[in-house]
Amino acid sequence: MMRLQRRSLLLEPPASATSDIAFNLIVFFLVCASVQPDTGREQLIPRVDEQKEKSKQSQNIEVSLTPRLIIVNGEPVPEEKLTSRLTSLLAGKNKPEDKVVLVKSDQATPYQRWIQVTGLVESAGGVITLRLEETKSTTVN
Amino acid sequence: MKIQRLKLEASVPAVAMGDIAFLLLIFLFILARTNDTSHIRWKPATAPTVKSASVAVAEVAIDADHKLFLNGRIIGVASLGTELTRLLEDRPAGQRAVHFKVDLRTPAQYFEPAIEAISSAGGELVHILEEEKAAP
Repeated sequence: MMRLQRRSLLLEPPASATSDIAFNLIVFFLVCASVQPDTGREQLIPRVDEQKEKSKQSQNIEVSLTPRLIIVNGEPVPEEKLTSRLTSLLAGKNKPEDKVVLVKSDQATPYQRWIQVTGLVESAGGVITLRLEETKSTTVN
Repeated sequence: MKIQRLKLEASVPAVAMGDIAFLLLIFLFILARTNDTSHIRWKPATAPTVKSASVAVAEVAIDADHKLFLNGRIIGVASLGTELTRLLEDRPAGQRAVHFKVDLRTPAQYFEPAIEAISSAGGELVHILEEEKAAP
């Protein structure tokens, strides 16, 4: 009996498209790498009119911030003890308006330090509110 | 005998269509990123824990020279609140995120009035930070 040999089919992917595919993949990954999402921290800061009302209603904790010192209600506190100090001060305060912590920064306080300290205040359960120095201009005739 | 002319068929190669469409998509995607703030020189502050920031309606930045930017263009702090109020308009809560990019050395006299303006305009402040790397 004669054995019929099967015809072998050459199955090869089209090589002409390979460079196109490679190029598209490069562009795709390049775009993905350049569109990295930002990371950060949300911060709830009450509106100015709201905070004026709240500060009238209750006596809030005041944190004064300088490039070197942190002063809580007039008393210097080391950075490592700030969270525990604020936690004890905020203990028993259940109303959101009572948890408001007024942050007054020295003009020279750098942003990095401000972020660190306000992060600690928030981790202690405080709600950050800024206390800015008001500037008034008067014209003298 | 009449010799028939050879008919040449000019067809558009359909194989490349997918590639072209894909490249067009990427091109349009890059164009859509209109708020390009890559020209602003700033170094982000660090924090121990950071989250992926939500999509922002506006982006406020203060560069290393303490210049204030709104969506990539220089602006004065006096008009920041008005411009932000216009941008945020009637957006509901949860869709009023304002990204705040500040160089880590910027003193409080520059960034605090900007925070106040964002707060007054009803913006939901998101500080753009980097995660603190553990010391080797």
